[in-house]
Amino acid sequence: MAAVALVLFARRALLLVQLVRLGAPLARFDDLPRRVKNETVIVLGQKKLLQRVVPGLMHAFIFWGFVVLFPTIVLAAIYVVDREPGLPANSPLAWLEHQGWFALVVDVFCLLVLVGVATAFWIRKVQRPGRFHGSHLAEADLILGLITGIVTTLLLWHASQIALGLNDWPSGWSPVSNALSGLFADSSTTEVLERVFVWSHVLIILSFLVYLPYSKHLHIATAGPNVFFTRTRAPGRLEPLRFDGPDDELRFGAGTVPDLTWKGILDTMSCTECGRCQDVCPAYATGKKLSPKLLIMDLRDHVFAEGPRVLREDGFEPTPLVPNAVTDEVVWDCVTCGACVQECPVAIEHVDHIVDLRRHLVMVDARFPAEAEPMLRDVERSSNPWGKPQDERAAWAEGLGVRVLKEGSKPPEILYWVGCAASFDERARLAAESTVKLLLAARLDVAILGPRESCTGDPARRMGNEYVFQSFAEQNVATLDAAGVTKIVASCPHCFNTLANEYPDFGGRYEVVHHTELLADLVRRGRLKPAPSGDTITYHDSCYLARHNDVLESPRELVAAVGEPIEMERSGKRTFCCGAGGAHMWMEERGKAINEERVREAAETGAETLAVACPFCTIMLDDGVRQTGRDLRVADVSTLLVEALERS
Amino acid sequence: MSVLVVLERQPEGIDELSLQALTFARSLAAQAPVHALAVGRDAAVLATRLGEHRVSTLHVAEHEVFDSYAPVAVARAAVELSERLETATVVAAGSERGNEVLAHVGALLDLPLAANCIEATPGDPVRVIRLRWGGSLHEEADVRGAPVLLTVAPHAVATETVAPASESAIETFTPALSDADLLVRVSERTQAETGGVSLGEAKVVVSCGRGAGSPEGFGIIEELAGLLGGAVGCSRAVTMAGWRPHTDQVGQTGTKIAPDIYLACGISGATQHMAGCKGAKSILAINTDPDAPILASADYAVIGDLHEVVPAISAELRKARGL
Repeated sequence: MAAVALVLFARRALLLVQLVRLGAPLARFDDLPRRVKNETVIVLGQKKLLQRVVPGLMHAFIFWGFVVLFPTIVLAAIYVVDREPGLPANSPLAWLEHQGWFALVVDVFCLLVLVGVATAFWIRKVQRPGRFHGSHLAEADLILGLITGIVTTLLLWHASQIALGLNDWPSGWSPVSNALSGLFADSSTTEVLERVFVWSHVLIILSFLVYLPYSKHLHIATAGPNVFFTRTRAPGRLEPLRFDGPDDELRFGAGTVPDLTWKGILDTMSCTECGRCQDVCPAYATGKKLSPKLLIMDLRDHVFAEGPRVLREDGFEPTPLVPNAVTDEVVWDCVTCGACVQECPVAIEHVDHIVDLRRHLVMVDARFPAEAEPMLRDVERSSNPWGKPQDERAAWAEGLGVRVLKEGSKPPEILYWVGCAASFDERARLAAESTVKLLLAARLDVAILGPRESCTGDPARRMGNEYVFQSFAEQNVATLDAAGVTKIVASCPHCFNTLANEYPDFGGRYEVVHHTELLADLVRRGRLKPAPSGDTITYHDSCYLARHNDVLESPRELVAAVGEPIEMERSGKRTFCCGAGGAHMWMEERGKAINEERVREAAETGAETLAVACPFCTIMLDDGVRQTGRDLRVADVSTLLVEALERS
Repeated sequence: MSVLVVLERQPEGIDELSLQALTFARSLAAQAPVHALAVGRDAAVLATRLGEHRVSTLHVAEHEVFDSYAPVAVARAAVELSERLETATVVAAGSERGNEVLAHVGALLDLPLAANCIEATPGDPVRVIRLRWGGSLHEEADVRGAPVLLTVAPHAVATETVAPASESAIETFTPALSDADLLVRVSERTQAETGGVSLGEAKVVVSCGRGAGSPEGFGIIEELAGLLGGAVGCSRAVTMAGWRPHTDQVGQTGTKIAPDIYLACGISGATQHMAGCKGAKSILAINTDPDAPILASADYAVIGDLHEVVPAISAELRKARGL
């Protein structure tokens, strides 16, 4: 019977491995120490799960319980054959089953697992959070039932062993089993029951084993590898497509199942439908079609529907992922804020899926929201997404006394990369003016590229137009290298992310800092001496700064140096997007607006000022304030710092 | 290689884009004959101008369905003609209609269509360069098919005539149309809500932002636009609030306008909005905020409440016209 179960399990496991191997290549075998660390912290330490205390502990109890109970499962598999198998005296198992402490640990963890299961039922049946909307609920109930069965049969088996005097461990060490042993009086019945319990225990485990790879509980097997093979580099970096290889190796994102990367396919097998991603998704929260959870589940269903046919049927043509697995709308709803990725306990990389689907739609099918076309065209033609004349790029800097680098100029100590938004947008340029004033006040040798600065290509890349992005990356790297630039400060988190994390893939290696980091350092070293006001300020973390690049403390130091900080509920790495990410600055939003939702949260803190550190957040949130009529001033941290210096 | 060009008609004669398609077709045909197809009553009169385009024969398809636009029927006629003449290529203008008709030809023959070409080199396959991405990208493509189906990007080829003009023969035929070919046809015509002036082409555009206060607040804007014979536009905030349809939005993600004068009422001038109206010859801004960004781009400005200023302008207009 065990053999049958193992064969069934192995057959399914083989198919799963074949499906993963069907995926497109992706280099995820480097950086071993980071991978081991991730495995330890995220899997063994349950770090992501414990971001939410109650459901986190619930899962940790069950997970740690089964780690600890593993030897007892092996023991049960031996004892099922023979009541007194007589293990070799010097074997580790024989040693372990004689240890009182181990018996105690087993009992305690059995209880903890039961507490975990009870909590899980309470969450699912009483609390019923919205994150489960769309998940397979009955499947979870069955699995929780099986877990309960495994643990209770184990306790009862141990109890009956104690009643029969078969226990190898001092019974006083296992309080639960010992107490339960009082239930068994008549020894002939107990002898039968002892067999029933151990057999039930083993049978439930075997049926679990067979059911496992067909269910969402597959994550027991896949989550470990999925975490191991997760990204180890900056979360904001997208994997570049290579256009210079042989024709048959070219990949234009994901069009059909075999176009998904192998990690992408493993992602789909790792999803437990827990819905933490759905819970934090700004698109889902504002009633858009996208749920990151359903995205992964729908891709999984497509992988299982078509993957096996691709493997086995000659000439089978897999159907397009969009719109068969997920609709166009879902693909375009994403703001690439990465909240889902941050939240996911099993390291699924939702944003990579979205970008790969977009790449195929844009580069192969030329299919994307029509209103975004002018942006793509303007980036290509005018080197900025609003089609403004390049020779007006440095107009904002007139009279400020900042050096504009000409060809052959002496390289500056620090190059200020202004970005298109701060160069051209009336509201965003205030931050550029403030930044330059501050850097000059601190007597830094700073310069700008002026008309030689171009879009970094970020909006095109997040739209899926990798071609356009790469041509801008190469062009900008050439400009920066020719200018002898070694250190860059950027006030736009999107430019910052691209320059720091993505340009190294195109040969551009510079020391890149965000303006809040540089300014905080200048304040720390006493080069800038702000005088704080009594203004209450709440700071909005930009996704590309906080979540994608871990810049959390510097802007907060600055806010504390100029006013009275108040935190919003969603802050730091768990911030909520302004709505502009993923090129949504240039797309129409359907339904409820993300920026209004964020402004509402900011206003509820009672703060007078909403501090930001991103030109797009500035525009979106200022629009949000106007749309909702809230009494809130939106200002870049650098502008607040200039005002604080003027006070002192 | 002989070419068949599907012509579109205007009341005054052959559509300009079709003339461009004829010029394009000649470059592809070299010395081979160029045939033209026109549909509908009185189409034969077009032949007088076709000699200077070296069209050997104008084929006029007659059927009552051609009294109005019927793309599948035109496509069927083109297929029938092309097969009879054994033309190597079928060309049409890359207009809405030209692209639609040739797409149907492609579907009927199960052949590929290369739309919006700007250049073609004869041969097998035919090498074409075509516009993609709204003109930002040139794609080089090889097209195979018998016949090869191409449409010509509007205004990418300048119309040229040949001298001396030759004589074009006229042949009339009635295509064999099945019921399926008659399914797509014009059933009704309705004017767009803007009273016939489309936002993208209007000479005068009057726009309003959230300052309108409500959908009803656009009453005064519509009134002024009506008096000026212009179209009504609005900002993104207005369409986000659901007050006006997205088709009314002026901006980078809406309609790009190029009027002689743009009246921007209560519009602050966000970058995304200004990207949509940079084609305006002059801008008149009406705003309560003297620091609004739009004032930097405006040629004329009124600092004041649009709810007072706009009705006052309308009243003056009416007075001047004696209404």
